Amino acid sequence: MLSLLLTIFTGSVLTAWVSRFGRLYAAWAAGALALLGLLQLVPRAAAVFAGETLIERLAWMPISGLDLVFRLDGLGLLFALLILGIGLLVIVYARYYLSPRDCMGRFYAYLLLFMGAMLGIVLSENIIQLLIFWELTSLSSFLLISYWQYRADARQGARMALAITGAGGMALLGGFVLLGEIAGSYELSTILASGDVIRAHPHYLPMLVLVLLGAFTKSAQFPFHFWLPNAMSAPTPVSAYLHSATMVKAGVFLLARLFPALSGTPEWAWLVSGVGLTTFILGAFMALFQHDLKGLLAYSTISHLGLITVLFGIGTPLAAVAGVFHIINHAIFKASLFMAAGIIDHESGSRDMRCLNGLWKYMPHTALLAMVAAAAMAGVPLLNGFLSKEMFFAEAVSAGTHLQLGWLLPVLITIGGIFAVAYSFRFIHDVFFNGEPIDLPKTPHEPPRWMKVPVELLVALCLLVGILPSLTVEPILRIAAAGVLQTELPHFDLAIWHGVSPALLMSLAAALGGGLLYAMRSPLFALHEKYCGRLQGKLLFDGLLAGVFASAGSITRWLDTGSLQRLMLSFFIAVLVLGGSGYIGSGSPLAGSRELLELDAISLIAGLGLILAAVATVVLHRQRFVALVLIGAVGLVVSLIFVKFSAPDLALTQLSVEIVTIVLLLLALYFLPQRPARESSRPRVLRDVSIAALVGGGATLLTWAVLTRPYGSIAGYFLENAKPEGGGNNVVNVILVDFRGYDTLGEIAVLALAALGIFAMLEKLQLPGPETDEQGRRWNRDTHPAVMASLTRLLLPLALLVSIFILLRGHNLPGGGFIAGLITAVALIMQYLANGVTWTQSRLPANMHPVIGFGLLLAAATGLGSWLVGHPYLTSTFTYLDWPLVGKFEVASAMAFDVGVYLVVVGATLLILIHLGLMHSASHASPDPQGPR
Amino acid sequence: MSHLIIAPVLLPLFAGLLLLLLRSVLSVRIHRTLSLIAVVGQIGLAIALLSRVHSGEILTYMLGGWIPPFGIVLVADRLSVWMLLITALLALPALLHGVRGTDLRGRHFHILFQWQLFGLSGAFLTGDLFNLFVFFEILLLASYGLLLHGGGRLRTRAGLHFVIINLAGSTLFLFAVGTLYGILGTLNMADLARQVALVPAEHLGPVKAASLLLFGVFILKSALIPLHLWLPAAYANTSAPVAALFAIMTKLGAYAILRIDTLIFGSSAGALAGMLDAWLLPLALLTLVIGMLGVVAASALRQQIAYLVVASVGSLLTAFALGSAAGIAAGLYYLPHATFAAGAFFLLADAIASRRGGFDDRFEPGVVLADRKVLGGLFFVVAMLSVGLPPLSGFIGKWMTLQAALPHPSLPWIMASILGTSLLGIIAMARSGSVLFYRAEAAPVDSATPLRVGTRTRELLPAILLLLLCLALVIWAGPVDEFARATAAQLLQPEDYIRAVLEP
Amino acid sequence: MMEALMALVIGVLTACGVYLTLRARTFPVVLGLTFLSYAVNLFLFTMGRLTIGRPPIIHWTAADYADPLPQALVLTAIVISFAMTAFVIMLSLKAREELGNDHVDGRDDA
Repeated sequence: MLSLLLTIFTGSVLTAWVSRFGRLYAAWAAGALALLGLLQLVPRAAAVFAGETLIERLAWMPISGLDLVFRLDGLGLLFALLILGIGLLVIVYARYYLSPRDCMGRFYAYLLLFMGAMLGIVLSENIIQLLIFWELTSLSSFLLISYWQYRADARQGARMALAITGAGGMALLGGFVLLGEIAGSYELSTILASGDVIRAHPHYLPMLVLVLLGAFTKSAQFPFHFWLPNAMSAPTPVSAYLHSATMVKAGVFLLARLFPALSGTPEWAWLVSGVGLTTFILGAFMALFQHDLKGLLAYSTISHLGLITVLFGIGTPLAAVAGVFHIINHAIFKASLFMAAGIIDHESGSRDMRCLNGLWKYMPHTALLAMVAAAAMAGVPLLNGFLSKEMFFAEAVSAGTHLQLGWLLPVLITIGGIFAVAYSFRFIHDVFFNGEPIDLPKTPHEPPRWMKVPVELLVALCLLVGILPSLTVEPILRIAAAGVLQTELPHFDLAIWHGVSPALLMSLAAALGGGLLYAMRSPLFALHEKYCGRLQGKLLFDGLLAGVFASAGSITRWLDTGSLQRLMLSFFIAVLVLGGSGYIGSGSPLAGSRELLELDAISLIAGLGLILAAVATVVLHRQRFVALVLIGAVGLVVSLIFVKFSAPDLALTQLSVEIVTIVLLLLALYFLPQRPARESSRPRVLRDVSIAALVGGGATLLTWAVLTRPYGSIAGYFLENAKPEGGGNNVVNVILVDFRGYDTLGEIAVLALAALGIFAMLEKLQLPGPETDEQGRRWNRDTHPAVMASLTRLLLPLALLVSIFILLRGHNLPGGGFIAGLITAVALIMQYLANGVTWTQSRLPANMHPVIGFGLLLAAATGLGSWLVGHPYLTSTFTYLDWPLVGKFEVASAMAFDVGVYLVVVGATLLILIHLGLMHSASHASPDPQGPR
Repeated sequence: MSHLIIAPVLLPLFAGLLLLLLRSVLSVRIHRTLSLIAVVGQIGLAIALLSRVHSGEILTYMLGGWIPPFGIVLVADRLSVWMLLITALLALPALLHGVRGTDLRGRHFHILFQWQLFGLSGAFLTGDLFNLFVFFEILLLASYGLLLHGGGRLRTRAGLHFVIINLAGSTLFLFAVGTLYGILGTLNMADLARQVALVPAEHLGPVKAASLLLFGVFILKSALIPLHLWLPAAYANTSAPVAALFAIMTKLGAYAILRIDTLIFGSSAGALAGMLDAWLLPLALLTLVIGMLGVVAASALRQQIAYLVVASVGSLLTAFALGSAAGIAAGLYYLPHATFAAGAFFLLADAIASRRGGFDDRFEPGVVLADRKVLGGLFFVVAMLSVGLPPLSGFIGKWMTLQAALPHPSLPWIMASILGTSLLGIIAMARSGSVLFYRAEAAPVDSATPLRVGTRTRELLPAILLLLLCLALVIWAGPVDEFARATAAQLLQPEDYIRAVLEP
Repeated sequence: MMEALMALVIGVLTACGVYLTLRARTFPVVLGLTFLSYAVNLFLFTMGRLTIGRPPIIHWTAADYADPLPQALVLTAIVISFAMTAFVIMLSLKAREELGNDHVDGRDDA
């Protein structure tokens, strides 16, 4: 079977390809491939007729229980034959139907894709695999229906079909996952054998509902029926295929396939036959009132699928046999009818039955074919439709006898039958007789010879099956039914004459009633126009869809306002909720038992001062310069705190970072709008203050909670090993360059990245500087004060010396590459501030990239050195040198690392500041409005 | 102790350094070649590592030779190497697209790109919580640069938001790490896992608070609601290759969640075992739904894809939240699919937008596209992929998740969300496709890109590469499934990890 | 009670940071982020508990030392936050150019 599917799917690609060489090649290729497919079935058919079930397995995801497994039994064979046989006829027919404007390659590629997907469904042993092909049919039918994509109704019809069958597919996935869980396997052989387990399982009902949703959406059962008429906007060959052997039949195939596993419960009986019956009657009723030829046929399809569904719903073996039989018959006559309708449309230019009249004169041959097919649809004796319809009526009667109100079932079904006869009458009489055609676009005539051949073949089949059932259809029907029931068949005979039975009476009633109904059609049409004119599922669906889009839109816009403040707010609230619930949820006390330090006055004052400065910054943040000065003070106190609590390195670092940051902010401030931003609204301020207070309070509590608890850490190790193993007394520095040198490497990478990112960002950035400051004073354009200039020039070498010293001693005493780097940077920045950009530029390279690069390289490469001696990355080594004058001196490879840090810091900091400086000089250069003084 | 473990970190670092030092010397062509070679090498390294850890061995690397928990240790287990491989495989097509001109629209594209990979690899490999923070910062700064690359109003605005919210996130990260250190006195994740189990009840408070704050950080990174709002604008407005590369960024957050959830709060965590589960599932499901609503509501293709990324994180973490081996395995299968699919979609969207002239990627009936057949076909496939239609990888991941959810008490919710959102996705995609490709009124614009077949294929090659990766996920679903399950089993045995790190 | 004061200081710094990051203009937001980094650096530092007059520098006279690890971590953190602050400052300038004003969302409703 795999080879068969491969033939069709690769064929789909092939057809698309050959169509470049000539549009008809596509048709030929497609036809040849479908034929090839049929031939591949022949050898296997024998075994199946002998009662075997062929299984082909291909391992895919064995652990998860999903393999590619194919199954060919009677049911599968029957459907495969229908799909390929009718498919072949459709291919021939479409070759003449499509106009030169239509791209044949695309059409046949889609058609074969769809054909392959259908074959996949009917040949699957694994239900997940079945679902895969199921969804593929939805997709490929979308492509087929929207084939004339320039037509709005085609696009809408296609999207509706996809939405509804897609929804069904999702339900089916859910149902199949449950079914697989219940049966313990996804493979049909197991599932079909374990019907009792399945029916007894607590999940049976939800699973059943989900599976049925899948089946009903696909086979256009009420209330999902409306997508099918809207799919008429597809080219007629496609409709002929979708309505007869494929798509909608996939739904009833599923009912047949799972019949032994799911049927036999009241839930099944009520759901399936209930829905089926409604669809049967409703479809027949609607069909009568369609004026579009294809519309009538579409609703009749809905009705007939309802009929088949009822039969499977009744649930007796005989009913199932009748169901399979009607599947065959309906496929045959419905295909021929659509093709006939297509011919009429093609040759007369219209499908409106109010204009199409008396075509008998113009196309007698086609008319004859159409009339026979329509008669089969109506269930006229000696035609195939009659036989299965008889069985249907008989089953309805016998089923009716079991349940109370049973007589209702045959009555309802007869009513449906009456409408069926009526619309068949209409199809024949209205179109081919009933006076003269009314202003048709073209004068009708017979189609080309080969366009009729497929119809002739199908109609011939209608007659053969109708007259000689036991010679023609019986064998295949038997094996197919056996495939459905998975047990030995009940007794049945396909005789044309069963004597006078209730079923026969029902047929007669239907025939007479149908005739009457059609005779009195004109008043009925008027009534229908008046009352059920705009009663359509489509409108409902469109409304629903519009609702979905609207609500999705409003929800999304409500959440995503593109406001940063909203984002920050949700962040802080999330933090509060998470942290708070975490702590409270644990139920542990706030404070621990650790004994605390004495609070001395100076610390208290410093602390309060810091708090004061911080609050002041917030209050005055709209006076930006003041805020800047205040935050500088805050930073200063923070570094004092580090000093107080024995962290000299941190103090130094914090201090130098502080200076650079403030300088940066100062320079940046110059470019930001001077006028203070508007005050936020009072409620907004209140809200933010309370959030801030809550988060701040949380931080306080968390700190308190930790600080009051006893404590043991891995710190001891570092203190012990810093000197003997790391060769340094300053443990913090040894950690930075050695124990956790990898962090430091990352840290300077961050610094380098920041510099590069800023460089990339500020390139070509031109901001106009303000002419005056807030108070309206003009910026001073005087040259830089000479005293300061000369002073800083003197100080520069000294500063550099200091930084070198700090760098070198860093390993043993407070200091290290980072602090040294910042000091150097600060010293150089002073040059800018004192001497101006131009003076400094002339003495200092503006391009800092090499400095950063070499620094990072040095740091990263020292780590590599240890590889040579087989140690892991960043393993350090150190030795003691004896320097004259200096004395015994110790060098650690980690120092090279620290030099790298130093270079990166200098490079990055300068790069950023130089850029700002350049922007300043550029903005100063901007012409002075008052002209030169 | 093999240096192979640290190689994926050092290769992009030194590649970036080389490009930085020789930036003025080398021609653009050589820059691009070097960058591409480095990424290919990265793939090679990931594969080499995979062959090492495939057996289930957990490799460790003690930086500076300091024994854990004192020094920083790198850990390569199945999960981290899986992430490395996915990242490298995504990076190559993204870069291939980048070298077609994007890299010249600003400075340092290749350096930033390499160091983004440097940060990602470091984050996936590290076994130390503070070091994880450091590498988060590296990849964030690189991503800031990449996100802003090329400039522009919307891009700058999105970048500003992205940077500020992530700075807040980093602060939160430090609060969490600090608290954990303050109580447990260690930073090594394996050691943390041990200490967590020993915390006396009266000290649980700070630990639990800190753990949830840490979780909050990862919620932000992986763009779970309510912290997903930074993503759509950022991804929709940046350049195509960057957006494609960023497809892995949210997965990094998911990785971190999975890691701490299984290692630190795993089965052996005593009182704190599985403390995140109560939060994760509802958040994930909500994200899935909200994200898919965004997909439906989107008014332009890139925005729609960005919301698809949000939704995919939702379904990914739904799978992880199931906590079972099957669930985690489903997630680990779904993760590369979601990453590659999003990447491919962003690259394709670029090609489409470039042919629509002024209509760009907005959902308005615009011009008849040049190469509409190729683009339409690709769009159809990528859309199927993204909404999880069979037979593609998205469907398999979805099905595995559903299957894994069967024993879960809240199965109805999970099933309803997953199936419902898939349907919404189908409807939305059908609409987008028919607007972009069917309802075309105006005549084709001759777009900036010349449309000779050669250039076209070269232009679409990266997207096609990513599609092929997804196809590979389908064809070799069996082996991947097997590997994913093995990985899940390894994650659910945290003792092995802890022993491998602390008792080498 | 030194710890209480410290906790208070950290809380206030955090609160100030939070409030300022919720403002609508880039400059206060930058200040807010600076506050937040002060707060978190102090917090991280105090996680090694408070010790007076015992810097972690090995010396034969010293009996006991402060926990060096948090100090090292804070140093790293300071550097990183410095880089981040620098970047966000420059980004705010970039935004001022691209958006035409200093509102975080580019809306000029002032």
